[in-house]
Amino acid sequence: MGTATGIIRALNSGIKHLAVKRFTLRYPEEKLKFVGDGYQFDPTTGVGIAGYKGRHMLFHDKCTGCQLCAIACEGVAEAIAMVKVPEEWKHNKKSIMPQIDYGKCVFCGLCVDACPFYALYMTNDYELSSFTKEALIYTPSQLQVKPEVKQDVDIVIDDRGATHG
Amino acid sequence: MTARLPPGLQLEKVDDRIMTLNVGPQHPGSGHMRLIIQVDGDRIVSCDPDPGYVHRGEEKMAEYRNYITNIPHLERPVIHDSCNILYPYCLGVEELLGLEVSERAKYVRVIASELNRFTYTLYWLAIYGIFLGHSTMFMWPAGDRELAIDLLEKLTGARVTHSYFVPGGVRNDLPANFEDVCLRQINYLEKRLKAYADIFYDNPILIARTEKTGVLSREDAIRLGTTGTVLRASGVDYDVRTKEPYDVYDELDVHTNVLKNGDSYDRSKTPWLDMLESCNIIRQALEKMPKSGSVRVKLKPNPKGGNDEVYKRVESGRGSLGAYIVSRSKPEPYRVKLSVGSFRNLICMPYLLKGEKLGNMPAVYWSLNYWPVEADR
Repeated sequence: MGTATGIIRALNSGIKHLAVKRFTLRYPEEKLKFVGDGYQFDPTTGVGIAGYKGRHMLFHDKCTGCQLCAIACEGVAEAIAMVKVPEEWKHNKKSIMPQIDYGKCVFCGLCVDACPFYALYMTNDYELSSFTKEALIYTPSQLQVKPEVKQDVDIVIDDRGATHG
Repeated sequence: MTARLPPGLQLEKVDDRIMTLNVGPQHPGSGHMRLIIQVDGDRIVSCDPDPGYVHRGEEKMAEYRNYITNIPHLERPVIHDSCNILYPYCLGVEELLGLEVSERAKYVRVIASELNRFTYTLYWLAIYGIFLGHSTMFMWPAGDRELAIDLLEKLTGARVTHSYFVPGGVRNDLPANFEDVCLRQINYLEKRLKAYADIFYDNPILIARTEKTGVLSREDAIRLGTTGTVLRASGVDYDVRTKEPYDVYDELDVHTNVLKNGDSYDRSKTPWLDMLESCNIIRQALEKMPKSGSVRVKLKPNPKGGNDEVYKRVESGRGSLGAYIVSRSKPEPYRVKLSVGSFRNLICMPYLLKGEKLGNMPAVYWSLNYWPVEADR
């Protein structure tokens, strides 16, 4: 193939590409859709359930304060601290629950794998930025709240190419 | 004119015509490493690569953490190829602990590691494009990478640093409808990859720039101990996936792409051909994968291995990637050593750059598929 033909073919390829759709996500207005409600773990089978690894969600009615999540985090990020909660549960004699520092968390989800009581899940919420380091520390009562997320954009492929639509 | 260099790194002063240039460690073109280059005019007289700026002590850290806790930090050296860097570690730990991985988990691992090859190689290709001033080739792979990242995000729950492979299988099963979505996106990605030929690989301007620059002969490639795409571009038919098949690669039809010239052009083309081959591997794996079954072996807390040692290797985006693990009957490994492709390919840099024009330095350097963070570990 000659030089001139090669350059013309390259230019032609570039011009044809003008009509091809491209990936542009208008982020704060549009958000990517994830599978399910976040990464979860089934301790009976020992296998996780696929989902996005975002902010955690703590179920106060299931947490026994066993500290296994904090032990799993040792050596990874050391982001989990067990703190006193002002609630009284029959299954949680010490009244302690995990508090997660998102300034340290690496979102690996090993704490979710460690929980034998279905008490700790991950959610689709990834917008955790704050102005202070202290605000990144989520207390058990903050972790209890189910995040409100509107994520509905998925990849669409058609004859004109693939895009976020 | 000689720059002040730390002890042991001083270069021989030849005469007054020679000037020493430091490319890096903060140069946008070098990554976190330094190339100490001596030039005569614009001809490179000698090149001394100086890695080590991003050494994080991953191997030492692994000695203080148990086999599961090691996973999130061991994947840090290559965050966008994190499945492949965990692969040999997981294979090794499985042998030490005597775990039997299910057939389905093996197929899921093959799919995840081939998807990771896309995310790594397309990133590499985008940077190679911008190194050569071809900004279209930066935009296209960077955009198409989204298809592979999206699949991995659906599968593992994270766009990079997946923490997905564990000793005993993978963390979670495929999400619902994943096979169809994967097949659709891989078919489209293959179509897009083929479109790169006209604008990049068959482009006479790229060929003129990279052909016959930095030629590594077949003998030198073997003598210097290079691996991966660099070795295959020099005409050596070697791929760990076919020569020492791990997991289910022996049940799949894997074709090795071998080119003969060993110049920058061939070295930049081999990863692209490998990506096209990865499309075939993923399609085969999706077809042959058992439709049900567990994907993870249930482990006791703090599992212990015996007094044993093991070496396993896999084919990553940068070449053969090995993990040597020594166990001394404790929950923590006694020693973990990663043998990475980047570091093994670094040694040919002085040989390839000698006699080249300084302007060709980026074309040769990045064609080596070198990733500074992985080389330093």
